[in-house]
Amino acid sequence: MIGSIIVKIAFSASLLSTILYFLNHRRFSKRILQLARIAYGTAVISIIAIAVSLIYILMTHQFQFSYVWNYSSTDLPGPLLFSTFYAGQEGSFTLWSLYTAVIGAVLLRYSARKGYESEFMSIFSLMLTFLVLMLIVKNPFAYIWDVFPKDLIHTGQVPAVAGNFVWLDRAKGIWAQYPLEGRGLNPLLQNYWMVIHPPVLFLGFTSMSIPFAYAVAGMLKRDYVSWIRVSTPWTVFGAMVLGTGIVLGGYWAYETLGWGGYWGWDPVENSSLVPWLVCVASIHTMLSQRRSGSFIKTNFVLSMLCYILVLYSTFLTRSGVLGETSVHSFAEPGMWVYWMLLLLIVVFAAIGFGLFFMRRKEMPKVPVEHSFFSREFALFLGASALVFTSLFVVIGTSSPIITSIWKNKISAVDTTYYVTTVLPLAIVIALLSGLGQLLWWRNSDTGSLLRSLRVPIALAVVMSGIAYAAGAHNSAMVVFIFAASFSLFTNLFVGYRIVKGNPKMAGGAIAHIGIALMFLGFVASAKYDTKETLSLEQGKAVTALGYKMTYLGYRPAERGRFAFDVEVEKGGKQFIVSPVMFNGRDNEGMIRNPDIINLLTKDFYVSPLSLDVPDASEGKEVTLYKGKEQNVDGMKIEYINYNFSTSPEFGNVVKVNLDVVHGGNKERITPTMHNNRGQVQFLPASLSHSNIQINIKSVRPSQANDNNSTVTIAIVDPNAAPQQKKNDVLVVEATIKPYINLVWLGTFIVIGGFLITIARRRGEARRDEVVSE
Amino acid sequence: MKLKVIIGSIIIVAFVVFGAVSFMNSNVEYTDFAKAEKLGKKVQVKGAWLRDKESQFDAKTGQFIFYMKDDNNKQVRVVLEGGKPNNFEIATSIVAKGRYKDGAFYASEVLTKCPSKYEGDASAVKKTL
Repeated sequence: MIGSIIVKIAFSASLLSTILYFLNHRRFSKRILQLARIAYGTAVISIIAIAVSLIYILMTHQFQFSYVWNYSSTDLPGPLLFSTFYAGQEGSFTLWSLYTAVIGAVLLRYSARKGYESEFMSIFSLMLTFLVLMLIVKNPFAYIWDVFPKDLIHTGQVPAVAGNFVWLDRAKGIWAQYPLEGRGLNPLLQNYWMVIHPPVLFLGFTSMSIPFAYAVAGMLKRDYVSWIRVSTPWTVFGAMVLGTGIVLGGYWAYETLGWGGYWGWDPVENSSLVPWLVCVASIHTMLSQRRSGSFIKTNFVLSMLCYILVLYSTFLTRSGVLGETSVHSFAEPGMWVYWMLLLLIVVFAAIGFGLFFMRRKEMPKVPVEHSFFSREFALFLGASALVFTSLFVVIGTSSPIITSIWKNKISAVDTTYYVTTVLPLAIVIALLSGLGQLLWWRNSDTGSLLRSLRVPIALAVVMSGIAYAAGAHNSAMVVFIFAASFSLFTNLFVGYRIVKGNPKMAGGAIAHIGIALMFLGFVASAKYDTKETLSLEQGKAVTALGYKMTYLGYRPAERGRFAFDVEVEKGGKQFIVSPVMFNGRDNEGMIRNPDIINLLTKDFYVSPLSLDVPDASEGKEVTLYKGKEQNVDGMKIEYINYNFSTSPEFGNVVKVNLDVVHGGNKERITPTMHNNRGQVQFLPASLSHSNIQINIKSVRPSQANDNNSTVTIAIVDPNAAPQQKKNDVLVVEATIKPYINLVWLGTFIVIGGFLITIARRRGEARRDEVVSE
Repeated sequence: MKLKVIIGSIIIVAFVVFGAVSFMNSNVEYTDFAKAEKLGKKVQVKGAWLRDKESQFDAKTGQFIFYMKDDNNKQVRVVLEGGKPNNFEIATSIVAKGRYKDGAFYASEVLTKCPSKYEGDASAVKKTL
């Protein structure tokens, strides 16, 4: 297939580009530079072609390709079908390569203007080379018959019923069958967030390669100081995009997956958080280096760690090492991927840290000249707290690996580990993000510092008091609320002053306001949520958590799903929540989606658990032997036979033929039972001259003697015994999440702060451009 | 400068110790019911749901009660705080996290391991031909 050839072209071109750019770094030559650019351009075009081909075969349902068969199906609507592009390993590596290639093309010009092209592009092309190598190992264009040669490749005549087939070798009569339908996308992923979240997260992951490449480029150029001016705008960009991706993932989990919260300390979530924390730490130490010239080595190490940690995350979540300890466990990817991912970490860690080790003596040492009460020291402590947080998270996430080496037994840490270790650090971070804004560079005047602390501390005490009165009695939480409020008020005051002066400089203060709001939102919504499991009988109101809830009934929703409408009432206001439940395909089980009422000060979150349909066993049960007439309540009933069939719509269908004599009429009735993957449905049959209904209870054919075959039926006579019909019962978990909107509001504010900072740092980077083109 | 280094080192050592202690405490051991009974602390037990024994959701207490057997075939009543876990019916194995107390296992969480889609699934390809 042409796709596989383009993958090889892309690999060769990016490898060539790496070599040529590196040669050009060793000795500048205009011709080599031009060739390197051509090679890189070829790589970019080939990778775009790979991505377009993959999207094309997915959109046109070409099930002869293993990837298309594994992750898509014909019933997916357009946007979800498109999202299968990155649903599997091969596709997500294609997306990663595509982003790397395109970002490289953008940064080629940017770096050229800064005199960084050869160094930056040689390392960036190398990253691209390794990503494309992954596509050679896990080829997205593998044919399905190469995956299942025993089952799909045949020789000889093609039978008329073969379905889709293709000749592999007409002369020898070798042909291959291929599927008419794919296995489809995991129903948990069939949601519009699948279209939004992964592309953003992958862009964030890819952006983490930029600080690494500039750090290595700086060392190659022996420029240990000014590389950070080139790198900073992109580091901030990476932190913004990755941060957005993480929150989007959290919102997805909260809104659709029904995990009950937006954060579960799952390895996949953690492993995107860790590089983000380190990246944010590096933004702070870079700021310090700009002012005082210190932290030169720290900045190299942190910038390189951003990417190494992305690689480590990928290894953790994609190689299968976590085994059963993650809910995200991906399909077993095979040993090749495992070793490739390990190789990726080793190679880039060796390049980055090897070069760092070689050059460390050359790096200028700047004597530290600041006091405890200086902004530099606060930045240093803040960055350390961030690095420690990421360290604790990475150790917890690696627990299965650590315990398998140490105790030869795989086990994960309980999520309480993360809360215990991260909470004190979060308090420190919150306090410093307020205090740091009040401190001056080098040294602060204690008197004026104390004066400026007074109002924010007073307000924070008031806030904590209010929270305590509202029920926050846990002392650690009160301290956290105090710290976050202190940060909030300080940054509000400082931000207000900066905006009045020069709004371009307000990025930091604004981002900190957002973080403080998120912290407050975390405490309120995760620590002080209230939860209750309720059984809602259809039509009967139940009061819980201050709300009156009535289950109204279910209705079919889009694509074979069922929505369960629940009326929620409080203080005269009415809402309808419609959580969704449906059965996934094959062995995917029951999928449940919650529904949320988003109010200003809280979310009312309703997560469905099950629908209990009262047993259909009402009526009189009778067991009939085949061919034997039996007298029941003045009727004569004979079990004639049953037939069994399967239908795509109802699954297994059992029809039982009965001859019934009632009031002088003889008639043949056929109650039916559907069993669709465990979902059993009974369709009773009624007699034509009365309203007696007959339902199947069970059918027991006898192989040995057909006359011993029996059927058990239930006879429901509404006139005989007026029975109260029981209603369906919907079991839900209702949760009130107070002030969760603070989390989302905070996120938007942080993004705004990042954008302002990017604009400012880009402007600065543009000012000291060197003209080399 | 010296003072800062000393304070810094103390803080770092404190955090490392704190982290290590938290790690050890919260590492939830995989074990079986017999050992869980002896330990009495929070553990995780892998096993299978006993389908033919009673399993029900008690709406009053908000607990889901079922029976499971561990890999040594010891059968124990499990009381899960919350509703029936996702994919419970189709799970090939389950992992219950919690404590053993008074003849029952009180679980805070039950994870279900589903027959996952694996790539070399020849029966799956035959179904779609």
